[in-house]
Amino acid sequence: MSRFFERYEPETRQFFDEVIATEGSPRPHYDKMLQRFAQFSIDDIKARREIVNIFFRNQGITFTVYGEDEGVERLFPFDLIPRVVPAHEWETIEKGLIQRITALNEFLNDIYHGQKILKDKIIPAELILGSLHFRREFVGINPPLGIYIHVTGSDIIRDRHGHYLVLEDNLRTPSGVSYMLQNRQAMKRAFPVLFDKYKIRPIENYPQELLRTLQEISPVSRREPNVVVLTPGIYNSAYFEHSFLARQMGIELTEGKDLVVNNNKVYTRTTRGLEQVDVIYRRVDDAYLDPLVFRPDSKLGVAGLVNAYRKGNVTLANAIGCGVADDKVIYSFVPKIIKYYLGEDPILENVPTWLASNPDDLKYILANLDSLVVKAANESGGYGMLIGPESTIEEQEKFAEMIVANPRNYIAQPTISLSRHPSFFNDTELWGCHIDLRPYVLYGKNVTIVPGGLTRVALKRGSLVVNSSQGGGSKDTWVVDE
Amino acid sequence: MLSRVAESLFWMSRYFERAENTARFLDVNFNLLLDLNKITHVENPNYWIALILVTSDKERFNSLYESYSARTVTDYLVFNKNNPNSIISCISLARENARSIIESISSEMWEQVNNLYHYLQSVTPQSVQNDPYSFYKEIKNASHLFQGITDNTFSHNEGWDFIQIAKYLERTDNIARLIDVKYHMLLSEAESQTEIVAGSEDIIQWMAVLKSCSALEAFRKVYLSKIDPDNILRFLILDRTFPRSINFSVCAAEDALWRISGSSRHRYVNNADRLIGKLEAELSYTAIEDIYAKGLHHYLEDLEQRLVKVGEQVHLTYFAYHTPEIEPLDIEEALPFTGVAGGRAYWSQAQQHQQQQ
Repeated sequence: MSRFFERYEPETRQFFDEVIATEGSPRPHYDKMLQRFAQFSIDDIKARREIVNIFFRNQGITFTVYGEDEGVERLFPFDLIPRVVPAHEWETIEKGLIQRITALNEFLNDIYHGQKILKDKIIPAELILGSLHFRREFVGINPPLGIYIHVTGSDIIRDRHGHYLVLEDNLRTPSGVSYMLQNRQAMKRAFPVLFDKYKIRPIENYPQELLRTLQEISPVSRREPNVVVLTPGIYNSAYFEHSFLARQMGIELTEGKDLVVNNNKVYTRTTRGLEQVDVIYRRVDDAYLDPLVFRPDSKLGVAGLVNAYRKGNVTLANAIGCGVADDKVIYSFVPKIIKYYLGEDPILENVPTWLASNPDDLKYILANLDSLVVKAANESGGYGMLIGPESTIEEQEKFAEMIVANPRNYIAQPTISLSRHPSFFNDTELWGCHIDLRPYVLYGKNVTIVPGGLTRVALKRGSLVVNSSQGGGSKDTWVVDE
Repeated sequence: MLSRVAESLFWMSRYFERAENTARFLDVNFNLLLDLNKITHVENPNYWIALILVTSDKERFNSLYESYSARTVTDYLVFNKNNPNSIISCISLARENARSIIESISSEMWEQVNNLYHYLQSVTPQSVQNDPYSFYKEIKNASHLFQGITDNTFSHNEGWDFIQIAKYLERTDNIARLIDVKYHMLLSEAESQTEIVAGSEDIIQWMAVLKSCSALEAFRKVYLSKIDPDNILRFLILDRTFPRSINFSVCAAEDALWRISGSSRHRYVNNADRLIGKLEAELSYTAIEDIYAKGLHHYLEDLEQRLVKVGEQVHLTYFAYHTPEIEPLDIEEALPFTGVAGGRAYWSQAQQHQQQQ
C-alpha cells in the first residue's frame, strides 16, 4: 500500500468505495494502480499535477461560472486518480444504456405520432401533453431514420451496495464529452507507465463516431453532407467543448448569425457566399433555436430554422422536443416505457422516485422533506434542488410551499449515498469523494457507446453535487479488460 | 470559409501586429533618448508626446494623465486597459478573436496567443521600467514566433491570406504614422523651415526610425553609410524588398487579396482588389521627388486614408454578414453597394441558383 493509501479512510461501513472493498483490501482491478502510486512521493504527485495543469491551460480547457465577478474562465478541476471500471461491469452498463435509449427513442417517436402509450394509459396523458418540453408543432414530423436522440449522456450512479442506477437521462444537449477526451490525453502525459500496465479501451474515436452518426442522419444522400456545430457563442459555459468537437470532426463551428434561411433551406454565410447545410449538431436549447417560433428575443438562433427542419431540408441533432422524455417526472416511467416498447425488463434500474403530482406520493414527500432529495422536473445542472439532510427548516418550508403550488413540477428521491472514490486533496492526501458516471451514447444507424465516459467527482468534502457549475471536477475513466 | 471566421482571423492578426508595432515605438524611443543623453534626458516630454501622436490618441491620453513622461506614456501604451490600442488590450483582443475561432486555427497558434496573454498578465510596470529592452524584445519575439508558427502550422489557404492582409495593412499604416510623426517633430524643432534638416542629432533620430522598423542594417546594405532623410524615406516608403517598408507591405497585402478573389493585374474582381491594386501601382511608379512635391505629410495622410478604404472594402466584400443589404432577398439593392460584378452578393446569388437547379 502506498503512503497515500495507507492513510486513506474509505469508511466502507457507510459508503460503497470504488477502490477499497473492506478496510484494507483493495478491489483486484485497482491492484496495479495502488502498486504504482506506492512508488510516488508528494513531489512526484505535484510534478504530475503541474504537467496536467499546463496541458489544460495550454489547451484553453476552461469553463465559465455564472454569477461570479472574478474572471469568467476557470480551469476545470481534475483529479489525478483515474477510475477503473472492469469490463464485465461495463458490459452491463452498455447493454442497459442501449436498451434504455432505444426504448426512449421509440417513446418519442410514439409521442410525436400515434401516442399509443397514452391511449393504452401506461402514462397519464396530461403528464405528457402538459409538459413544458412537449412540442405540439412537431407531431407528425418524421426525422430521418426515425431517430430523435442522437447524442445522449445518461448519468449513472452506484448505490450503497454498488448497484449501477440511472439517475437522469440527458436527452437534450448533454455536455462534458470533451473533458472525457482531454482527461485521457492529460493522463497519458502524466502517467505513461501506469497506462502501460492496464489494457485500457480507447475512447479517442469518439469524434469520428459522432461525425459518422451526424452524417447518417443527413436528409440528402446525393452528396457529402454538410454538417455544422451550432453554438450559442463564446460566452457559453460549454463553448470550449463546442469548438473542440468541431475541430476534432473537422467541421465548421457556427453561431446563429453565421446561418441564414432562405426558401426553407439553411445556409452558412461564407466569404464565397452561401453554402447549404444538411445537419446541425446544435448545442442551443429548443427555446432559442428560432425567434419566429420560440423565444422571439433570442439572438442565438436562426429565423426560419424550424420551418426548414419541418420541411425536412435540414436535420437537427438532437431533434426538437426531446425534453419531454428527460423530464424528471417522465423519468419515473422509464421502466414501464422499456417494458411497453421492448417487452423487456430494464437492465439498469431507476432510483426510486415519488411524484408530487400523485396525491399519496405528495403526502409522503411533505412528511419526509428532511431525508429526501427534491428536484424540479425541468431544471438541470444541480439548480432548483433540495437535499433534505443538508437543508435548513426554512429551506424545507420554502420547498414545501413551492411543491404544493405546482406539484407537477416536483419529484423526490431518497438521498442516495453515491459511491466514493479516493481523490487528491491539495495533492498531499486522499479523501473519499462522491462520484457518478456519464457515458455518451450515439444513435445513428446503430447505438454506439465509447467505453467509459466522464466520471464527475464532488471535490468538496462530503458534497453530493458533482455538477461543474457547483464545484465538481472530473476523473479519467478507464474501462479495462481483465 | 465562414465570414465570421475570416473576420476573426483578420482581427487576431491585426491586433497582434499592432501590439508589435507599439512595442517597437517604445523600445526605440528609450534607445533614442539614451543616445541623446548629452542634449536631453529620458523624461523629456517632447520625445514621449510623439508616441501618443503616432497612435492619434492625444485626447484620450490627456483625459487619463497629467503629463508626458516615460512612466505615463509607457503605462498608457502598454498597460492601460482603457486604451484599446495598448499592448495589453491588443493582445487581449487578439486572444479573444483567436478563442472565438479556436477550432479553425492550429493549436500551436492558440497556445502562442494564450502564452503571450498570460505573460502580460504577470508583468508589472516596475519590471518594464527596470528593463524595458527585455520586455519589448519579448513582445517582438512573441509576434515573430506567432507569425512563424502560423506560416508553419496553418494551411496557406484563404484563412492564411486574411491573416496576411491584416498584418500588412496594419504594418503599412504604422510605418506611415511613424514617418509622419518623426517628420513633424524634426520640422518643428528645426530652426530653418527648408525641406528636411539633417543635423547630427537629426541623423540619430532618423536612425531611430530605421531601428524601430528593424531597418537600419538593411538600409546600410543598400545606401552604405549615407544616412540622409531622402534615402531613409526612399527606403521606408518605396523599397520593394524590405518587409517593413510601405511598398513591400502593400504588395504583400495585394498578393493576399488577389489570391482570395482570383484577381490579377488589369482584372479586378471587387473594390478591395481595385483599391489595393491602384495603390500598389502608384507606389511602384513613385519617386521620392513626387512625394516631396505633394508634401510628405500630405502624402502620408492620403495613404492612411486609402488604407482605411481598403479595410472597409475587405469588410464589405467578405465579412459583412450582418448587413441587411447583402441578404439574398435584397439582392437588387445590394449590387450597387458592393460595386463591381463578382462582389460577394453576386456570388451568393449565383451559388443559390446552382443549388436550386
